[in-house]
Amino acid sequence: MPDIEWVYIKINGIALKVPKGEMIIESAKRIGVEIPFFCYHPRLSMKEGGANCRMCLVEVASRMPDGSLRKMPKPQTSCSLPAAEGMEIETDTEALNADRRGVLEFLLINHPLDCPICDRGGECPLQNNTMHYGPPTTRFIEEKRHFPKAYPLSQYVVFDRERCIHCARCTRFTRDISGDEELNFLWRGADMEVATFDHTEYNSRFSGNVIELCPVGALLSRPYRFKARPWDLQSAKSICTQCSNGCNIKLDYRLDRIHRVNARLNEDVNEEWTCDKGKFGMDYISDESRLKTPMIRRNGELSPASWEEVLYLIASELKNAEGEVAGVGGAYSSNEDIYVFQKFMRETLRSKHIDHRMGPNFQSYNSGLLKRFGCPAMGNPIAELEDMKSTLIFGSNFVDEQPILYLRVRKGWRFKRNKVVEAAPQGLISEEIRHVTQFAEVSLNYKNGTELPLAQGLLAALFEDKGRPLGEQKLLSHLSGKNVAQCASETGVDEKDIRKAAELLATDKMCIFAGEYVTHSPDATAILEVLGDIAVLTGNAGNLNVPVSRNNEQGAMELGILPDMLPGYVEEQNPGMNTEEILSACVKEDLKALWVMNTDLVKEYHNSDLANSAMDACPFVVVTALAITDTAAKANVVLPVHSVAEKWGTFTNVERRVQAFCKAFEISPDIHAEWKVFSDLSSMLGSPMTYADGKDILNEIVKSVPTFAKCGPNTLGDEGVILNPVAGGKE
Amino acid sequence: MDNENSNSITPETGERTSCKSEGRFSPNAIAELDEIITHYPNKKAAMLPALWIAQREYGGYLTREAIREVARLLGRPKAEVEGVATFYSMYNFKPKGKHHLEVCTCLTCGCVGAYGVVHKLEEMLGIHLGETTSDGEFTLSEVECLDWCEAGTVIQVGNKYFGHVTKDNVEMVLEQLRESDDHTSPSLADDIVKILLPKGEPKSKVE
Ligand code: SF4
Ligand code: SF4
Ligand code: FES
Ligand code: FES
Repeated sequence: MPDIEWVYIKINGIALKVPKGEMIIESAKRIGVEIPFFCYHPRLSMKEGGANCRMCLVEVASRMPDGSLRKMPKPQTSCSLPAAEGMEIETDTEALNADRRGVLEFLLINHPLDCPICDRGGECPLQNNTMHYGPPTTRFIEEKRHFPKAYPLSQYVVFDRERCIHCARCTRFTRDISGDEELNFLWRGADMEVATFDHTEYNSRFSGNVIELCPVGALLSRPYRFKARPWDLQSAKSICTQCSNGCNIKLDYRLDRIHRVNARLNEDVNEEWTCDKGKFGMDYISDESRLKTPMIRRNGELSPASWEEVLYLIASELKNAEGEVAGVGGAYSSNEDIYVFQKFMRETLRSKHIDHRMGPNFQSYNSGLLKRFGCPAMGNPIAELEDMKSTLIFGSNFVDEQPILYLRVRKGWRFKRNKVVEAAPQGLISEEIRHVTQFAEVSLNYKNGTELPLAQGLLAALFEDKGRPLGEQKLLSHLSGKNVAQCASETGVDEKDIRKAAELLATDKMCIFAGEYVTHSPDATAILEVLGDIAVLTGNAGNLNVPVSRNNEQGAMELGILPDMLPGYVEEQNPGMNTEEILSACVKEDLKALWVMNTDLVKEYHNSDLANSAMDACPFVVVTALAITDTAAKANVVLPVHSVAEKWGTFTNVERRVQAFCKAFEISPDIHAEWKVFSDLSSMLGSPMTYADGKDILNEIVKSVPTFAKCGPNTLGDEGVILNPVAGGKE
Repeated sequence: MDNENSNSITPETGERTSCKSEGRFSPNAIAELDEIITHYPNKKAAMLPALWIAQREYGGYLTREAIREVARLLGRPKAEVEGVATFYSMYNFKPKGKHHLEVCTCLTCGCVGAYGVVHKLEEMLGIHLGETTSDGEFTLSEVECLDWCEAGTVIQVGNKYFGHVTKDNVEMVLEQLRESDDHTSPSLADDIVKILLPKGEPKSKVE
């Protein structure tokens, strides 16, 4: 990092020291001076399309080489004014107030008087700035321009063109951040309007963000439209459950209904973005289908029962099962639930047969990545990704699998000139899904199923590169004697492209992502070994990332819902059965009871036939669930459990960051926290567990699992804490 | 799609891959575009010339397929190409008559009777400003200064300027044009493309 060069400036007579070149609008924030603005956004490019609203004007006097001060004759836009030594800035003069009144009067020429019926009302920058700085009346007596109201841009976003003030935040977002470049300005001057190409559907994985970015009520959420006014809503800090990235969000709710989801700032994770899965996918929490009472199968039908009844039944069945019990699932439950679940299974029921994985691969955790790099999933924290000089995205539909990691990688490319190499199976790159391809320096489009030879080709190219040492015999062995040309013909990729890709990867800051085409491949272990070799060979050992994809899948690994690992990756001497073995054992009637932890097993397990027949064959199946899923419909007992909105808890995200979510509301007293179910049962079975709440459990985890040592409920804060490294060898 | 700084001129690296057409660009048009792209730091910068070629190839106006094709040939987002095209008034988005009469009604021409010419034309053609005759022969528009003020009133028709037009001699202009297949919108587009090519044609001319 080069040293920051500091300059001394004055804002409203207050002297301060700021980094040279910092925009004055940012410097003013340092001393609490507020400058009104619309188009400025620190994460959007200023160079292309910024500084267009003119709301942020300030008066500037610059220091001349002879030391004198010279006042600029015209006010300047502080969002694009870099700080320089000796500058003196005024933000609050009569002249500026007149300018701001003028700017607002101009912006309001075409803006309709919609505030009373506008979803943005109450939290609208245009409304607020007009109240504060605006003229009370307008001189414009002509007809305003008109467009149809509520034009649907996509299934999530409606657009009211009359309200648009042409700040270009949305258009810049699609270009600078999300990368789909779907929105742009049409026409010119007074006719200008934001539009997609030919008014086609706004097709983006991140469209919801423009709703929050728009400084007026022009871009609005379709599901939220007319549902509530912001001042009627309460807000709870939460974590998105739709994927492993763990975006920080706010659940805005009223009574027991979620009305909308907005992003919550976390510079280390999602910055201020969410993807559409998260922003529009959390309604399940207050969905009608939520199960509100336990269900028991009587005469073949699931019918409501009391908690007392079901717990008594389960306790007696589990007692009879005498350890011939297994548990699957857990990737959607909180760390606390997971911890108590495995403790209940291992200590109370004396069963080692627990697994959260849904296949198709069930590698032993005691080998592979963990052994080699000491890191079972991601080697790099998310924030570091934007500083990787080159990134290899291997076998992944990255934007869908890892939306937030995708945004970081793209940010590094867009704003820091990093290079990206993509390796994707043929067919994945199409007109529609080509998000990484759009900015990848090289795209290797390989024949389906040839991940291994392609990885070998890259490794071979790195070896053959003259500048590289050839000594590492161990690495060489993974090549199985192949050279680049052979790998090229096997994979159907141009040899030149493989070499060019390898050249790009040979930087001192390189990281690799292996996606689901790798982890679901029968050759997964071998491919990861070779990708690991590439990391080692380029001097980036440890920068191999195999990100998990489900909500708390990482937590399930860390806290030992694995047949061969206890919490904190402590090796289990005599491993239990993995999911596949458990389900087969059910079919063979070797197990007396199966617990499915909040997972739609028959949908998610890679072989649904096996899952279905296991569910049918097992004499006693308990399912914890939010609603009656296909799996729950087959159970003997279904227990309604809390969603993320109904309790305090923590998740571990893809980069091993433990983050807390807060309780918003309760839907029914007959819905219990999952951990509560296990602790009640455990007590009934003679091993009392006395947790008062989730924080109690987390405290126990902190004490007993070394990787969690820094993650106490009081140290997590709003940003969360990354787990300690796993003890053990690191290459 | 580019890095934030890539608008600055970057040295040409590697061999250039030739544009492939799947739309209405003829092989010659592709050759022209390939050539023109070499005059610019990147493909994005060649967008206006590319749109002129498209306007010619698509018969005088830009359809959505034309925008799509330009976007594909330049590797740019469709919304961006549409945004650029609609910013400029000389690209057409609707079919025009074979001859597009653009009468200058700016200050100087206005002083020497441009509106008289306009009214006479309206009368002779039986249409109003902005309209096209039913036989598809003429479209009538008014435009701002055409930069030949000393010859006002000026009418631009495709790639030809008519100067010293008055309401009395404008009939001659119409007569000349009725006979001719030149001076159409595509011929204007073609002339502009020629100007953009130093030798008036691509180095590798396709017959
Ligand atoms: S729609 Fe909103 S964000 Fe987009 S340009 Fe208009 S005011 Fe700005
Ligand atoms: S990226 Fe993942 S965590 Fe973030 S909003 Fe989307 S689904 Fe939720
Ligand atoms: S905020 Fe500075 S010009 Fe818009
Ligand atoms: S005013 Fe008509 S050409 Fe200039």
